[in-house]
This record gives sequence, structure tokens and C-alpha cells, in this order.
Amino acid sequence: MLSNMLGSKNMTEKDWNNLLDTALPDVEKEMEASPFDTKLSFNMADDARKVINGKLNIKDFHKKYHSKLMREFGEEVGQDFASGADDDSTATDGVKWGMVIDLRKCVGCDTCTVSCKAENRTPPGISYNVVLEQEIGDFPNVAKVNLPRPCMQCEKPSCVQVCPTRATFKLDNGIVTIDNDRCIGCRYCIVACPYGARSFDFGESYEDEMLGYNDVTSPEYGIERGERKPGKTPIGTVRKCNFCLHRLERGEEPACVETCVGDARFFGDLNDPNSTVSKLSKSPRAFRLKSDLGNGPNVIYLK
Amino acid sequence: MATTAVAAPKVKVKEKQSKRFKLWIGFLLLLFFAGGYFIVERLVQGLPVTNLSSITPWGAWIAFYIFFVGLSAGSFLLSTLIYVFGMMEYERIGRMALFTAIVCMIVALTFVLMDLGRPERMLNAIIYWNVTSPLAWEVHFYLVYIALLTTELYIAMREDLVRLAGTPSLKGKIAKWLTFKNSPINESTKKRDHKWMKILGTIGIPLAILGVHGGTGTIFAVVQARPSWNTGLFPVIFVVSAMVSGTALLLAMYIIKKKATRQKIDHGMVVSLAKMMVAFLFIDLGLQFYEYLVGVYGLEHHHLEGLGTMMGSAYSWSFWGVQMFLGAAIPTFLVFYKKTSKNVNALLTAAILIVIGIIGVSFNIVVPAQIVPLFEGFPAGDYFPTFNEWMVSIGIAAMGLLIYTFGEQLLPIEEIQSPEKSEG
Ligand code: SF4
Ligand code: SF4
Repeated sequence: MLSNMLGSKNMTEKDWNNLLDTALPDVEKEMEASPFDTKLSFNMADDARKVINGKLNIKDFHKKYHSKLMREFGEEVGQDFASGADDDSTATDGVKWGMVIDLRKCVGCDTCTVSCKAENRTPPGISYNVVLEQEIGDFPNVAKVNLPRPCMQCEKPSCVQVCPTRATFKLDNGIVTIDNDRCIGCRYCIVACPYGARSFDFGESYEDEMLGYNDVTSPEYGIERGERKPGKTPIGTVRKCNFCLHRLERGEEPACVETCVGDARFFGDLNDPNSTVSKLSKSPRAFRLKSDLGNGPNVIYLK
Repeated sequence: MATTAVAAPKVKVKEKQSKRFKLWIGFLLLLFFAGGYFIVERLVQGLPVTNLSSITPWGAWIAFYIFFVGLSAGSFLLSTLIYVFGMMEYERIGRMALFTAIVCMIVALTFVLMDLGRPERMLNAIIYWNVTSPLAWEVHFYLVYIALLTTELYIAMREDLVRLAGTPSLKGKIAKWLTFKNSPINESTKKRDHKWMKILGTIGIPLAILGVHGGTGTIFAVVQARPSWNTGLFPVIFVVSAMVSGTALLLAMYIIKKKATRQKIDHGMVVSLAKMMVAFLFIDLGLQFYEYLVGVYGLEHHHLEGLGTMMGSAYSWSFWGVQMFLGAAIPTFLVFYKKTSKNVNALLTAAILIVIGIIGVSFNIVVPAQIVPLFEGFPAGDYFPTFNEWMVSIGIAAMGLLIYTFGEQLLPIEEIQSPEKSEG
């Protein structure tokens, strides 16, 4: 039967699932065999999924199951569960993506810039991420400092404030995006961004150096736009770093974080007080660029 | 006998005039089509034909845009001196001022259109109005403002349109079409028109000052990222510069037109307009002085660098040469020096120089602030308009002049002299 199905090449998702189910143990039977409550376990699993999807508040979850868990597992586990609920009372709902860049670990190799260009297929003249280099001090006491600069995904972004068409806007997860199908290309946002994080797509191309460059446009925001041709979006509009939103959606870190040679970049949820980025952002070494402007960058540097 | 003797030279003058007129139209059409070629090039190829970049995203077209909005606001405010404040000594240029204001707005919006990366999406700024964006507000203000100017011009011309409606010429036909069937002129309509001119003008003053030109200044002033724009005085300077350039433009246009058509020049009005123009210029310079003084005194790195770029870099010729020397020093001298202060030609030169100076001001506003790097280590901007940018600008300006010239041919923009007042 299996060879039959493969032969027809028409395996549907259901068929694959059935195949998998025959290999897996039956969950209901397993739970029945255990000393714990089957119904409770299924309900909790269902609701836990809802919590992850943001459809159920974690506090309601705790409230709902607290007494049942106390009955099931007794004092010890139940107490842990309750105190966990207290800890989370400070957390706000949803994620807020943030990045921490440790300037002492940055070696100025520009790998982030290159991997960003490769990941987002940015045309000539556009780099979502750049590494600013500067020599400081007087000879012979000189040092080279590097400052990697992605978009800061500001808490109060100037670009969003000034955009006449609301083509650039902030997502609930903190990332500032651009609707390239709405942008009129007035470039007010470029002028207003204090971090120089935005670029205008003039329509240039690497086609001469790189065969087939025009065959695929940027995969940003996960939108497939087909061939890169004059007059086609996003040409004539504004582009910028979006923390590799398309990668985040499939559970991957931004390309620059993943490839960083010095392991200088950290990425995570700033709303979660236990995440690495939250902890690092409270370090005494932490600072934000142009903090006097009130943009509130969500990219934090460690000096 | 006597009549023919008088009539003959008149015909000759007419002939000469129409020849000049044809030359003028031909010249404008030439510029317009030359510019048109580059406009098409720009629309087909997109913005790579400019020297703009992501570091200096705004350039010549934005400078011309604010320049023409300024001319418009300035001309309109001058017209309110007549229609709202009753300074009838300037009445001769009232309609001219209103019509100039409309044409300048059309030109300004064409420049914006040229500058957009996606001109075909321009209506998005209206459809998806972002209320925190000064630019979105401006687009709305401009449209209301153009509507108001058009209504006001119509009322100002109404009586002459009615008078013209009977004549068999094209002008008469248009007038007939515009006046509808039944439009009498009598004391009560005169009163009514006068009242409406005053009401519209009064609404227009805050609209032009706060909405249109102060608002255009606000587009720049709210940008915290560019300290040399980010001051409260900035929109005020915009408005005053608009008054300077608007007055200068109307003065120049009045003199040139009267000369071209060999008509009598109202000498007293010219001299007093020139004085007014220089008075506005002084207020403008005073405000700029405080603007720079406070900027320098703050010792804030970016602000200093912005001013440094404007006044002491490769770009400074535009500040010292165009804005200060041509646009301020020479005109001031011409208007106050005894030998030139009453000379129409000298005053015409002064007015033209001031208009050129304000073009310089516009460029000095837009460009230097975008040259200064945003960070240390960030590349500095480098911008000078390309040939395409210049030609497109010339084409659009020629379009404006064409609209003005034809408008003047077809509409009674110039005061028709009522028979009892006409000079023999
Ligand atoms: S860094 Fe610039 S582009 Fe990014 S969110 Fe802030 S203002 Fe916008
Ligand atoms: S260029 Fe596009 S995203 Fe930027 S302000 Fe204009 S419309 Fe908005």
C-alpha cells in the first residue's frame, strides 16, 4: 500500500500524518497507563498551545489549573507552579525583539554586512547593516573601533512618525517594517532617521557581475516578488533592515546574528526578563546610540 | 483724418507686440520641450538619473519645490494687503498676485511629483493620511489652498468677465462660459464680491502662513536627526523668506510686463514695493542671524558641522555668493543708493537678484544639512544636481511660465481700465 501511494505521487498531508501515527505510540493509551489524570493532561496541553499562540493569558492558565495540579501532584510541585505565576506578573504580553551587540567582541570583519546582503539580496548601494570604523586617539596611542549598525527598530521610530502614507509601521513584536506596495518613495523617512538605517532602492543591479541576480528579488517580509525588473516593487521605494523577519517566522535568528564571527551579537525577547538580551541590556556596559533623541532603540550596545 | 493718424501707430505697436509675444512663446515652448525630453527620461529610468543617494535623499527638486511654494505664499500674502487690508495703491498687481500664486503651486507640486520614487502612487498620501506626518498634512493644505486661490481669483475677475462676455473674441467666449447666464454688476454685487474677497483673504492668511508655508518649514523643522533644521524659528524663516521672494517676483513681473507691452509704469508703486521687499529682506536676515547665533552658541557638534558646511566648505559659495552677496547685499545697495533708488531698471535688477538669492536660500536649506554625516565614521554626502535635474527643473519652470502667459491671454488677469479712468 505504501509503494502504491508513493507511486501515485499524490501523498496528501493526511496520508503522511497517518503514516506517522502508525509509528507513534497512542497517546491516550499511554496516559491511561500512567498514574496521572488523562483528561487534565490533554486539557493542559491544549491550553498551553493557546498560551504560546497568544490566545490565552498565562495568568489565566495558572488560575485555571492551580487547584487541579495541587490535587494531582501535591504541595511541592503545586507551590512551584504558583510562585512561577508571581514571577511573570511583571512581564507584558507578546515578544519584543531586540538585539545586543558587544563592541568588545566585534572584530570588524564585516561578516554581518556580507551575510545580510546575501540573505536579503540587497542591490548595489544598499546595505541594511554596515560596520562603521573609526580610528581614535593620537599616534602612537591609537585604536580602531567598530560600530555595527543595523536598524535600531526604535521604540518610537521617527520614520513611522513622518511617513505620509503609513507605509512604514511598527509591528506588535517591535519590528519596524515597510509596506513596499504603499510607499510613494518620498524619502522623508530617510531624512528623518537619526541612524541612517534606511536606503532608497534606485533600481541598480548586480546582474553584470552575478549571473541570474535579477531572477529573484529580495525575500524580505517573506513576500515572493519574482524577477527584479525596472519599475517593479521594491524599486523606487525605501528599504531597510527588518531583523530578518522572514527568518524569525521560521524560527531562525537574523542572518547577522547567526554568522557573527566574534559571537558579538545576541538576539531575543526584550519583554522576557530571563532572556539573554534582557539580562545583557541591564549590564553596566550597556548603552544605546543617540539616547538623547528619544527614539528608544531596541538595539543595545555593550561598550 | 485725426483718427487714422492716431490709429496707425497703435496698429504698429500691436504688430510689434504680437511679434514679441510669438518670440516669447516660442522660447518658452523650446525650453519646455527640451525639459520634457529629460522629464520623460526621468520617468522611464527612475531616480538614477539624479545625483541623489540614500545619504543625500533630497536635492534640487525639493529645493525648487520649497522655493515655489514660497513664491506662491508670498504672492498670496501680498494680495491680501490689497483685498483684506485695503492697501489699494497696489491694486494693479492684485489679480496678478493671485494668479501667480496658483501657477507657482502647480509648479511646486510638479516638482514634488518629479521627486517621488513612485509618482503613480502620489494619491496614497491622501488615501492613507498619516496624521503625525507634516508632509501628509501639507499635501492636504496645498489642495485646500489652491481651491481657495482659484475661488478668490474668480471673484476678483468677475466684473471684468461679465464685461468681456459680450465681446466676440476667444477671451469673450471663455468669459461667457465662466460667468454663467445671469451675472449683473451693480452696487449690491460689488459689495457682495468685496465682502467675499475679504472673507476668503482672511481665511487665506492663516492658511498660507501656518498651513502652506509655515507647514512646509515644519516638514524640515520636526526632523530631530538634522540639528540645523530642528529649530522653532525655522518655519518662521520660511514664511518671511516667502514674503521676500513673493514681493520681489511680483515687482519684477510687473516691470517686465509693462516694459514688454510698452505700457506706463506706476513709478510710485514700484518704489514703494521695492522698499517693502527690502524691509522683508531685513527681517529675514535678522531672523537668520539669531538662528545661526543660537546654533553656534550651543556648541553642539552636529549643529556646528551643519553651519560649517553651509558657510565654510565647498558648498559655501551658495551661501556667501548667492544668498548673501547677490541676494542681499547688492539689492539692498540698489534700493538705498540715491542714484539707483528711483531707477526702474535698477529696482528690477534688485528684484531679480533677490529672487535668485532665495533660490540659493532654498538650496542652502535642503542640501548642507544632508551633507553632514549622521555619525562619525558614516560617509558624508556629496551632492550637485545632474544635467538631467537642471533640465527637468527648467522644463517645469517653463511650463509654469507658459501656463501664466496663456492664462493672461485668456483671462482678464490685468485690470481692464474703465473708460473714465483711462489715460489718453
Ligand atoms: S533606526 Fe531609523 S529606520 Fe530604524 S526604526 Fe529607528 S528611525 Fe526607523
Ligand atoms: S519613502 Fe515611503 S516609507 Fe518613507 S516616508 Fe515616504 S512613503 Fe513612507
